[in-house]
Amino acid sequence: MSVSSSADLALQTKGLSHIYQGVNGEVQALSDINIDVKAGKFIVIVGPSGCGKTSLLMMMAGLRRQTTGELLCLGQPMHEPDPQRVGVVFQEASLYPWLTAADNVAFPLSIRGDDKQRARQRALSMLALVGLEGFENRYPHELSGGMKQRVSIARGLAQDPPVLLMDEPFAALDEQTRMTMGHELLRIWSTTSKTVVFITHSLTEAVYLADEVHVMSARPGRLIDFVAIDLPRPRTYEIMATERFGMLRERIWQQIRKSH
Amino acid sequence: MNGWIYAIRLAALLAFFGAWDFAPRLGIVNSSLLPPFGDVLSTLWGLLDRPKVQEAILVTGAEVLVAFAIAIPLGTVLGVVIAESQYIGAIFRPLLFYVFSIPKSIFLPMFILVFGISFAQKVAYAAFTTTFVVLMSAAACVESVKEEFILVARSYGATRSQILFRVYLPSMLPMLLEAIRIAMIFNFTGVMIAEMYASRSGIGHLIAGWGENFQMPQLFAGILLLSLIAIAFNESIRVLEERYSTWRAS
Repeated sequence: MSVSSSADLALQTKGLSHIYQGVNGEVQALSDINIDVKAGKFIVIVGPSGCGKTSLLMMMAGLRRQTTGELLCLGQPMHEPDPQRVGVVFQEASLYPWLTAADNVAFPLSIRGDDKQRARQRALSMLALVGLEGFENRYPHELSGGMKQRVSIARGLAQDPPVLLMDEPFAALDEQTRMTMGHELLRIWSTTSKTVVFITHSLTEAVYLADEVHVMSARPGRLIDFVAIDLPRPRTYEIMATERFGMLRERIWQQIRKSH
Repeated sequence: MNGWIYAIRLAALLAFFGAWDFAPRLGIVNSSLLPPFGDVLSTLWGLLDRPKVQEAILVTGAEVLVAFAIAIPLGTVLGVVIAESQYIGAIFRPLLFYVFSIPKSIFLPMFILVFGISFAQKVAYAAFTTTFVVLMSAAACVESVKEEFILVARSYGATRSQILFRVYLPSMLPMLLEAIRIAMIFNFTGVMIAEMYASRSGIGHLIAGWGENFQMPQLFAGILLLSLIAIAFNESIRVLEERYSTWRAS
C-alpha cells in the first residue's frame, strides 16, 4: 500500500473548527476536524443530531466559512461555492417547484450560462442515469419522494463535478424507498467515479454505502472514530444480514453511545 | 362534470338577474326601492353618454391608478425591508401590526384637513390604506421563499441578480399577484369611501348623491358599473395568478 500523497485527495481538512454566535454567546459547533478523502471514495459521516455534520458539509461546499483551520478541495481552498469542483445534493424538497424535472436538473447549467439546447440534452441524460426517463416534463409535486431525490441527484451531477456532497438526502423517505435509493446511488456512483461525501444518522445506511465511515460526537462536533468498511462491492441487500456487517455497525454504534 | 358546473353557474346568474327584473315588475318588491334590472341597464346606458358621468369615471379611474401606483412600490419596499432586515423587522413589525388592525376610515377627516376636498385627498387616503395591505403581503411573500431554495442557487454559483430573478421572483410570483389583486380591492374601496364621504367629483360622489336623492335606477346603475370594473380587474389578475401557480397545487 502506498502512502497517499495530497494529489490523490479530493478533500482535505486540517484542524477545522466552527464557532458561531448563539443567543447565549459563542457556540463551538465543530472542533479540530481532520479528514482526508481520497479521490473516488465513498465517505459517510455519521453522528447524532446537532453534531455539526451539516455545518461541515456546508464548509466543504463553500457555503460557510470555517472559524479556524484549513479546507482543501482538489488541492485548492474553498472560499466560495465552486460548482465545477463540488455538487451538492440537499435534504428533501430542495427542488424548485416551479420548474419541471428537466429544468431543475438543467438549473446549474443555465446559471453557468450554458446553451439551452445542450443543457436540456445533458439534463435528459442525467435523468436517464437516475432512472427517470420519460419524467422530464413532470413538476416536483407530480413526483414521489424517491423520484424527487433522484432528480436532486441528477441535478447534483449535472455539471459533472468530481466531488458530490450529500446532506441526508434520503432522510425524509420511508425505509423501503430509502434502501432502494441507497442501492441506486451505489449503482450511479460506480458508473460515474465521483468522490462522494454522504451525511446520515442511519448506521445501516452508513455501513451499506461507505468505503469509510467517520463517526462524530455530539456538540462540539469532533471526529471520534474512523471505520474502514471492508465489505466487498458491488453490495447487495443480503450483505446486511452478514456477521461482518453487524460487527461494523455495532462498532460505530458503541462509539456514538460512548460519546454522549 | 365541469360543463355542468358552468351551466349551473350561468343558470344561477340568469335566475338572479331574472328575479331582479321580474320581482319589481310583478309588485313582489317595491319597484321604487328596487327598480327592475332592465330599467337599471337602460339607465346605465344613458348615463354613460352623459359628459358629467364620463368625467366622473375618468376622475375616479385616475385616483385609483395614482393611489395604486404609489401604494404598490411603497408597500413592497417597506415589506421587503421588514422581512429582510432583522433589526428593522423586530422594531417595526409589532407597531405596524397595531396600526394595521385599526380601521383606516377613522383617519379620513384628517386627510380632509390636510389635503382639503381634493384629488390629492382621495389618492393619499387610498394609498394610505392600501400601503398597509401591500406591506403585510410583501413581507409574507419574501418570507415564503424557502431558505434551501437560496442555498441551492448559491451552491451552483448563482449571482445576486440570478438569485433575485431565478429564485425569489418565481417563488413569490403567485403570492405577489394575489397580493396585488387584494391590494386593488382595498385601493378601490379607499377611493370610494373618500369620494362618498366628501367630494365634488368621481363615481363615489355621484353614487352618494343618487342615494341621497332617492334616484334608485341611477344608484343601481352606478353600483353595476363599479362592480363590473372591479370584477374585470380582479379576474384579469386572477388569470395571471392561475397561470403562474400551477406548481403550487400539491
